[in-house]
Amino acid sequence: MLFSYNWLQEYIKGKLPAPVKLAELLNMHAFEVEGMQKKGRDTIFDIAVLPNRAHDCLSHTGMAREIAAICKLKLQLPKTKQIKVQKGRLTPLKVKIQPASPKTTSQGGPASQQGGSGELVPRYSALVIEGVSIKKSPKWVVDYLEAVGVNSINNVVDLTNFIMLETGQPLHAFDYEQIEGRTMNVREAKEGEKLETLDNQVFSLPEGALVIEDAKRLIDLAGIKGGKVSAISLNTQNIVLQAANFNAVAIYRTKSQLKYTTQAADMYAHQIDPNLAMEALERAYALCAELGIGGKIAQVVDLYPKSASWRIKRITLDMQFVSSILGIPLSQKEAKRILESLDCQVALAKNRLQVTCPTRRLDLTMQEDLVEEIGRIVGYETIPAAFPIAPIAPPSKNTELLWLSKIRNAFKGLGFTEVYNHSFIGDKDFSTFAYSAADKAKLVEVENPLSSEFSHLRDSLLENLVKNVRDNQKQARLAESRQAETIRIFETGNTFRQHKGKFAEFNMLGALIYNGSFYEIKGVCDFILNSLGISSAWYDEYQATSEESRAEMWHKGKSAEIKVDGEEIGFLGEISSRVNTALKISKPVGALHLNLEKLILLASEEISYRAPSRFPASTRDIAILVPSQTKVAEVMNAMTGAGGALVRDIDLFDMYEGEHLAQGKKNLAFHIIYESAERTLTSKEVDTLHNQIIKAVEENPEWEVRK
Amino acid sequence: MVIFALKNSALEAIERAQNLAELETSYKAYLGKKGELTLILRSLANLNEAERKVQGKEANDLRNLLEKRFAERKKEIQREEIVIQEKLAIREHVDVTAPGKRLPKGHTHPLTLAQTKAEEIFQTMGFTVAQGPEIETEWYNFDALNIPANHPARDMWDTFWLKPKNAGHLLRTHTSPVQIRYMEKHNPPLRIIAPGRIFRYEATDASHEFNFYQLEGLMVGKEVSVANFKAIIEEFYRQFFGKPVAIRLRPSYFPFTEPSFEVDMRWNKGAWLEMMGAGIVHPNVFRAVGYIPAEWRGFAFGMGLDRLAMMKYQIPDIRLLYSGDLRFLQQF
Repeated sequence: MLFSYNWLQEYIKGKLPAPVKLAELLNMHAFEVEGMQKKGRDTIFDIAVLPNRAHDCLSHTGMAREIAAICKLKLQLPKTKQIKVQKGRLTPLKVKIQPASPKTTSQGGPASQQGGSGELVPRYSALVIEGVSIKKSPKWVVDYLEAVGVNSINNVVDLTNFIMLETGQPLHAFDYEQIEGRTMNVREAKEGEKLETLDNQVFSLPEGALVIEDAKRLIDLAGIKGGKVSAISLNTQNIVLQAANFNAVAIYRTKSQLKYTTQAADMYAHQIDPNLAMEALERAYALCAELGIGGKIAQVVDLYPKSASWRIKRITLDMQFVSSILGIPLSQKEAKRILESLDCQVALAKNRLQVTCPTRRLDLTMQEDLVEEIGRIVGYETIPAAFPIAPIAPPSKNTELLWLSKIRNAFKGLGFTEVYNHSFIGDKDFSTFAYSAADKAKLVEVENPLSSEFSHLRDSLLENLVKNVRDNQKQARLAESRQAETIRIFETGNTFRQHKGKFAEFNMLGALIYNGSFYEIKGVCDFILNSLGISSAWYDEYQATSEESRAEMWHKGKSAEIKVDGEEIGFLGEISSRVNTALKISKPVGALHLNLEKLILLASEEISYRAPSRFPASTRDIAILVPSQTKVAEVMNAMTGAGGALVRDIDLFDMYEGEHLAQGKKNLAFHIIYESAERTLTSKEVDTLHNQIIKAVEENPEWEVRK
Repeated sequence: MVIFALKNSALEAIERAQNLAELETSYKAYLGKKGELTLILRSLANLNEAERKVQGKEANDLRNLLEKRFAERKKEIQREEIVIQEKLAIREHVDVTAPGKRLPKGHTHPLTLAQTKAEEIFQTMGFTVAQGPEIETEWYNFDALNIPANHPARDMWDTFWLKPKNAGHLLRTHTSPVQIRYMEKHNPPLRIIAPGRIFRYEATDASHEFNFYQLEGLMVGKEVSVANFKAIIEEFYRQFFGKPVAIRLRPSYFPFTEPSFEVDMRWNKGAWLEMMGAGIVHPNVFRAVGYIPAEWRGFAFGMGLDRLAMMKYQIPDIRLLYSGDLRFLQQF
């Protein structure tokens, strides 16, 4: 809210600190001053009044009270005038207030916190003033209003704005003659009721908006903006000057639903003290003469059914409690002085203060609140740093993080760069990555997305990673001109999906190699699993039933499910050419997507080793011609079975398909390493073993050992 | 006589050898399995005893001499070869200004670097790292943190809601729900930090993103004060930035803390920089997790990790962190 330095000065006895100094003091003891601007002889502050102080500090007197407490200055409140009703000729106004619907009272919010105020209108106060003159306001009023950005309209409207900015109580003036039947009925709107406000906007109201209705029509969007039909005009002679206290929840909900707000609505939404209403009218009455409004008070309306529940609060404050929270010793006397400067009444007791809080301080409800008042006025900067006294217990280790860091380091070691992408995907991605309606239905959708580009939560890290490749490939071409161009990136993060009617969240790992093959990314996967001590991984050919990954993403012939103990833990392969084409990616992309939670559960720090043999090993090579579809694993299994314990390792060193080979055939070449822990194997022994293996391989009529 | 001639020719061969291969050939010619001297030694068996005595001594002496000379000459040649290689090496020069062979190098994201560093520092001060989900319920994100529905305080967090909205699911707007989840499962006293991704419905610019990172902290004990909070946080910043820092607290408001502050930091006498929000845990938060407020006290804080990383590495624009731009990322 904007505050005028000169206006604030009106309520302070003695001189305010210079504007810069004042801003600094407010920053350190109350609120952040977000802006400061010289305007003629005045300085205008933009002060971010904290939400818990909106009850009392969205006003110049409220802010002046803060300043007085901080600067140890005296407050001087503006003069008010005792309201005297005079006999007039106007028909008395009838005001009726409907009870709140259960929906409003059950909505929580400040009303339910601040005991005893479930009513639509905790207080409705108004003056009926007969015989007013509508004219221009005196210059000082115009100056103050304009200083804080409010246009001067006429003396009656200016009065309402002035009082609001001075006291924090919104006022509204109705043209008495426009109130049909001289009745006002305050109620909740039915959905879709129409109302035109003073600023010529026509609203279709949500259910529960507070409205005032006369005998025929809606005349006011209560607490937010006056209705056009009952507005003050140059011909107005009699007015109803309203100082109401409206239900904060109802106002908050309505302004949020209408996406429309006013200063009054903001004040009401934060809830204000109903006791302010009559004070504000007394102040307004005092100003009527000064603003040339004149007239006499024909009627006072004051409906305040539960006034008893808005009485002062008493809090017993334990001095030990204050010191132990703040961590500094503080005398009872000093605490008393500070609280009194904030308008509390304080009685001393043994090690305690009996504190009576002013009703406008709706935020003061418990000891902690008073500790905050004392702490900030004393100044938090006076509190020295002191380490806590706590048991020296080592923190329990988060093993998940340890593994995660191990995985990240492994990727870094392999030359991968870590990226962080947004958690969202959207329309463009659905077409690029060929999402079907069924695919989309599994995604988690955002109710209020920033744009259609970010309308859903990602269910895989790969889409955004592939887009990273697209964005970086040109750069990669330039940077890597001395070598084969490549991009290696990885990301860890959460993905989201609807699962059995619930939202499921997965911690995933995604990695890509641009200009990388199936076997290269598989090598990466092997390396990572190895680093985690997972030795039992199995790669299964892609099946249409894979739950974890969308088929359209993958090259059908070059992708595999990664399984450990029968459970799918991820997927790897090359990205489909349709995706590459859609993104204009010119080289094959190897991709890996792993479920980190499952991976980490399987990870093991146990390392089992086999002592290296003291005796030399012998190597024999074998080349086998097999049908193209034959799996290397099948051939290896056959060889391992036949070789027995003296075969230490079988290693595929070449796989060839193409020229010089029959159609539909591929050549596999292996090193077989023979070794014993007890002795040197003779070449005869090795030959015998090797022949056993050859025989076993040749048992399959489709496999031919090349000699 | 044969021996004498053999001696001369062998010694000459040794001297003549210019490299190890030649030397090895000569060695084989005299002392190998079928070498001349070896054959003579073997033939001694056929002689009578007197001849054997005389010739045997001569032959064995010669063998010892030759073995010695071969070994000496081998060392000489090796030494000569080193000298020759060194001479050659001078001619065989490289361009020392040409770049070295480029090896693949990986890079860790600056946010990971910042988060890891923060975790390490807090762990040394006894804080355990806790985590929670990114999709949260209204209860954990708001109600349990003393932020009631239809209260203007909720406007402090611009929220992404998930469809259908009446289910009350949202993307967490802060890491504070992790406090609640952790306290529900653990008894005090406790010290935790919770780093993680959070979401705000906000247009992006150089200092705003709609998903970013926060690091939450919570310490609960019997005696925990504002002074304690100051000490822990000052120590954290000192270690994180590796230089002495000053911090100051300013009044603020968060529904889940009372009193609440903003924390500013500065180096030397530089400008104060806004770092985070913090405060003493509100009794209603303890109530929400079933603690007895009168028995426990705590401080809580939440700082932006992006901001920490940006300050540490002097990154001017938060959007770079989420751009996937390798020209940026490969500098870390």
